[in-house]
Amino acid sequence: MNSIGQLSLDSDTASSMMPELIMILGLIAIVLVPNLGDAKFRLPLTSIRVPVLLGGSRFDLTNDPRLPNRISNLTFSLALLSSLLLISESPKEVGGILMVDGFSRLFSTMFLGALLLVSIATTHRLPAKTNAQVPKESDSENVFDRKISILIDNRRQVDFYILLIMVGLGMTMMTMATNLFMLIVCIELASLSTYVLVAFHKEGPSGGEAGAKYFIVGSVASAIGIYGMSLLYLWSGSLDLEILRQNWLSMDGVDPFAAFGIGMMLVAFGFKVSAAPFHLAAPDAYSGAASQVSGLLATASKAMGFLALFRVLVMITVPEGSEAIWMIALSIFAIVTMTWGNLAALTSENPKRILAYSSVAHAGYMLAAIAVVGSGISGTGQSSIILTAVSFHLFVLVLFKLGAFLVLTLLETEGKGHKIEHLHGLGRREPLIAGSMFLFVLSLAGVPPLSGFLSKLLMINGIVSTSASTGSSSSADVISWAESVDPLFWLAAAIVLNSALSLFYYLRIGLVMFFEEPSTEKPLKAAPSLRMAIFACALLTVLCGIGPVSEWLLGTVSTAIDSFMYQ
Amino acid sequence: MISDPLTVITIVPLAVSLVLLILPKISGSAEGLARASRAISMGVALAMLAITTMIFFGEIGNVDWTDYNSGYSLTNDAFALIPSIGVQWKVGADALSFPMIWLTTLLIPISMLVEWDAKKGHLFHPLILMMEGALIGVFVSLDMFVFYAFWELTLVPMFFLIMVWGGDDRKYASMKFFIYTFTASVIMLIGILVMYFYTPDVASSGTITGHTFDMSVMIASSDYIPSEGLRHLVWLLLLIGFATKMPSVPVHTWLPDAHVQAPTAGSMLLAGVMLKMGAYGFLRIAVSAFPNSTVAFIPLLIFLGMASLVYGAWVCMGQTNLKRMVAYSSVSHMGLIFLGIATMQPLGIAGALFMMFAHGIISPLLFAVAGAFKHHYHTLEIGSMRGIAHHSPWLAAHMMLGWMASLGLPLLAGFVAEVTILIAFWMSFGWLVLLPTLTLIITAVYYLTSMQKTIFESNDPHHGILPDTLHGEEPRDISWHENSGMIILGALTILFGILPFIFWDMMSEWSSGFLIETLVDAMQSEGVKP
Repeated sequence: MNSIGQLSLDSDTASSMMPELIMILGLIAIVLVPNLGDAKFRLPLTSIRVPVLLGGSRFDLTNDPRLPNRISNLTFSLALLSSLLLISESPKEVGGILMVDGFSRLFSTMFLGALLLVSIATTHRLPAKTNAQVPKESDSENVFDRKISILIDNRRQVDFYILLIMVGLGMTMMTMATNLFMLIVCIELASLSTYVLVAFHKEGPSGGEAGAKYFIVGSVASAIGIYGMSLLYLWSGSLDLEILRQNWLSMDGVDPFAAFGIGMMLVAFGFKVSAAPFHLAAPDAYSGAASQVSGLLATASKAMGFLALFRVLVMITVPEGSEAIWMIALSIFAIVTMTWGNLAALTSENPKRILAYSSVAHAGYMLAAIAVVGSGISGTGQSSIILTAVSFHLFVLVLFKLGAFLVLTLLETEGKGHKIEHLHGLGRREPLIAGSMFLFVLSLAGVPPLSGFLSKLLMINGIVSTSASTGSSSSADVISWAESVDPLFWLAAAIVLNSALSLFYYLRIGLVMFFEEPSTEKPLKAAPSLRMAIFACALLTVLCGIGPVSEWLLGTVSTAIDSFMYQ
Repeated sequence: MISDPLTVITIVPLAVSLVLLILPKISGSAEGLARASRAISMGVALAMLAITTMIFFGEIGNVDWTDYNSGYSLTNDAFALIPSIGVQWKVGADALSFPMIWLTTLLIPISMLVEWDAKKGHLFHPLILMMEGALIGVFVSLDMFVFYAFWELTLVPMFFLIMVWGGDDRKYASMKFFIYTFTASVIMLIGILVMYFYTPDVASSGTITGHTFDMSVMIASSDYIPSEGLRHLVWLLLLIGFATKMPSVPVHTWLPDAHVQAPTAGSMLLAGVMLKMGAYGFLRIAVSAFPNSTVAFIPLLIFLGMASLVYGAWVCMGQTNLKRMVAYSSVSHMGLIFLGIATMQPLGIAGALFMMFAHGIISPLLFAVAGAFKHHYHTLEIGSMRGIAHHSPWLAAHMMLGWMASLGLPLLAGFVAEVTILIAFWMSFGWLVLLPTLTLIITAVYYLTSMQKTIFESNDPHHGILPDTLHGEEPRDISWHENSGMIILGALTILFGILPFIFWDMMSEWSSGFLIETLVDAMQSEGVKP
């Protein structure tokens, strides 16, 4: 059971692993297809070319710089579709370490959705080469040809999308892991690819620096996490999550190995979700990376961290009816995280940093909700409502957080977007884009009736309904009532106060877009598919807040969480 | 005839305005587009007015508005918008909201008419239409979430009206308007959420939170909120939201700026309906849900009302800007509404309701006059122009009627409201009534002096003094569309002054019913004699 079993690919397994298989096929296609017809096969991510003795120069079709993007879009669309279709399938165990069920498919759908958006957004964002320039009429024939040949080189594209698909594979696999080792390996697969993606922003000087920083801090955090995992292995003798849970529940007192192990894993996952004080690399990474990659970090990568927290904290270490050992620590982390994020965002002048800090603050809100799950005073029903709220929030974050980053991506196609001045007057230049951006920031702030409000309300509701009933109902004034209520109530109050605080910088983005004078009246680049992605996000931000779509999504999330809680 | 008229009058203006806003140029020329969108907006607005008027005459729904006990009329079959947190589309109207709904549908076409010649693209009239949908949504929704969403939605068209079509300092004014009222409504939202979290857990409701935003449930379950102190706190949070909208001193400072910079139609709607949202929400939610807190805070209400009344009037005397003066007079009149509610008398509350209605007709007239003055004389300074009776007799006539109505001349609509509130105030608080009464003298002083300065006085009785801003041109009288809008408003001012019972009956029934149902117990428990 706890050994990694033989993975045999019968048709049943194949159908339940369809998204992953599609991505592997896509990966193969994206390596092979752009090389077709060429006598030299380039090894991906390198400049080494291996002669294959066949063919001459590449075909027109395989030479097309848009080709890798199309393959990637197609791969992610098909994977997303198949994952969506698999949500309601019955659970199926694969190889003893993976469990394909509604819960994992739900999250893989979300990851694939985010990756698809990123992939579409990259269409107009990634110049073929770092020094690519549009040829001018005045150029000599020689220069003209060289510029054209640089422009049509599609191989840099290939590298980007290979990494993107790797991220997708890591993320979707980690949703299914029932073994801690598998979980860590999948997270590392996704993380290592994101480190490179962050550094892929070669047009600016900050990309490499951001990537290096993110890599160093991230690998230290991973190392700590893996160390924690090995402590857990020493203690339990198995890394299967179910066995870990049973051992934890039957433990007398708290075994130091187990406690240290969990604490160290908390550090690793805390880095992933960018919780204070492990968030310090995040703003640098977000502002250094290309915006759509920052969006990926702020949504899918963060969701991956939360999913790992679900698996490790909620599944293993929540005893029934009593307080989990990490409850106090997590509550404090949550409050520090949200306050720090919001305060830092207030003073920031870079929209990418503002969004990065706002993402830190959102991590704080969600951590607060998870802390209540570990409080021991929430029943299973309330816990599952809270986890539903957190998962739903992770879902809709993909719409409005990634949407906001996509707007910045559109600005970045002109080399702008890293200063708040670049947003000035966007309302006049691009009313629809600015309107969408305003919608995104309002949703981030949690203004009804947008989806951000719904998810935040559900989280606050979970905390309040767990804690507020503890308050004395006979006290005559607010002070004595406040003293009698469970301290957890103050987590809800902290979320509300922080949301109010966050309004300032969210509204500031709206204000500069509509009030300041633009430096130019020219509209932004056409970039039709990027615009389509932005408008789709904006539309879904509204639809997921009100009406049947939100209902369906919430119902699906709720069913999946129930299956997770009661498995 | 129409099975769900309230939904229709909310959704149709919103939908049409959205189509007009988003659709790119339908017809070839920009001018043709502007003309088409203006005609469509006006048509929709008139249709909505027709529907509400038919509701009033019983042609649709056959409602007896004077019957308090029948509760909400014209309700629909509620259907869930977000079932998981208990949000429904549920509408209904009673004698508190119906006069406001009718007033909204009346003022929208009139304000469109007054600014029939708005420039700068084709969006002006559709934005006003959007305003109509949002305002009616506030008055008809019986779900707190939807109420709040419409409450915020009213900001959007008004914000753009001020920002795009406003005066020279429009940026500052629209920003201040938006931030001020948005912050206040976020504070109100916190209060609403606390109420939400204490609605009883209805297992069969199908919500995953176990709570509901249904307004009547939320109001009825306010007793579940533990501790008196928390109830008072929620009441205060709600009060901040509503008092800022009304606006009451000391949170009134956004209003004069917004009014001075807003285009005429924007000012008319702002003063005519938007301010009433504050008083409406206060009565509908804060007083209904927390009668004990309301009774306990009567001194605060009196203080706020008195401060607004006296301070507003006092500041009016020092104003040289016509629109600023009218704006402060609005603050002053809104103070009377708080005083009327604070009396805890059926007469006082009915007077407050009639004040909401009467001020909703008079203040748009005042702002239409001020806008026309600005339009034709290019200034708003009171002293700079003297003797407009000679140059613009129509404008002078409307100005005089509006000012007389505003200062409370008998047989005009404002008088009914003021006198009933003062009588009720005397019954409740005795000689304290002298303060508001004396303030009415201040009102008379500032209106009469500005009337003398603007309409009549001049060195040469045949020419008057023309302001420098005209650069020696001969001023014209107001144009046909301005004039017809003002004539309608003026006629209604006289109509409701002579025949106040058209709306008074339902208001007075509602007030006594409301007082008996909600407030009497609270007054007894708090030791206030009814």
